[in-house]
Amino acid sequence: MKDLVRMRTSLKEEIERILNEQIKMEAHSSAIYLSMAAWCDRNGFDFSAGYFYKQSNEERNHMLKLFNYVSDMGGHAISPEVTNVPQEFDGFRDVFELALQQEIAVSNSINRIVGQARQFNDFATDQFMQWFVKEQIEEEYVARRAVELFDVIGEEGVGRYMIDKAIPKITYGDVEAQ
Amino acid sequence: MSNTLPLTELFASSKGATYQCDTTNRIIIQFGEARVSLRISDFLTFKKRVDSVDIHTMIFNTDDAYDVEIIDAPRTGHLFVLSLCDLIALRDLLAGTRFVLDLNTLLNERIYSSLVY
Repeated sequence: MKDLVRMRTSLKEEIERILNEQIKMEAHSSAIYLSMAAWCDRNGFDFSAGYFYKQSNEERNHMLKLFNYVSDMGGHAISPEVTNVPQEFDGFRDVFELALQQEIAVSNSINRIVGQARQFNDFATDQFMQWFVKEQIEEEYVARRAVELFDVIGEEGVGRYMIDKAIPKITYGDVEAQ
Repeated sequence: MSNTLPLTELFASSKGATYQCDTTNRIIIQFGEARVSLRISDFLTFKKRVDSVDIHTMIFNTDDAYDVEIIDAPRTGHLFVLSLCDLIALRDLLAGTRFVLDLNTLLNERIYSSLVY
């Protein structure tokens, strides 16, 4: 008897489900960053707005990368519904703290997928997710450094202006550029 | 659908049976008077639809609208009109089928793959 399930896709149902959850999470992240960009624009933090627009695009690209993978493997990639996107934030620093929390949540989720892929002996998905594991090192570093700047520079006086200018210059692994 | 195609029975219950046709790569569901033939991806979608019905609401809501559930079998043009008992019986049938499909995958992975050359 033919194995129709395996002929359709190499993804186990559980793996397909958690990859679709990750697609949704990346789409949600992209929408949150877009909302943060708008908030920064409204409040005069022009450089930070640019940074969040860029982050939003990156998250969407992550979503597409996962989406294409699920489709290429014969799975059912689900175009995500994005809801509950906050539009208001308590302050400049809170925006960046929330961004860091978001990145940590994404890292945890990716780690869970890798764990599941290994549990199911799905080495293709494990290998594919390694790109995201490395990417999250950079994403978390940048988000953490942004929060750190609030302590290093301080928000008093022209502090927030200086922080706003410094945000887009944060890069991972190149101290000179900062 | 022609009845001359070779079918392998996957699962049977008092309400119906499911078969796999290796010629057309389709799953055939015989449930009561209804007989539909689905591609595997459509079978999985159909199963999700059946599983997602809120049985609890059907049981406890006295409104007539909750007496039956209408579920579309993808790309067959067939609508299943199911009472609560039908729904539970169909769920059992599809769950049993899914189990056999997974068992077949497992057998292919562990035993039959080594025979392919």
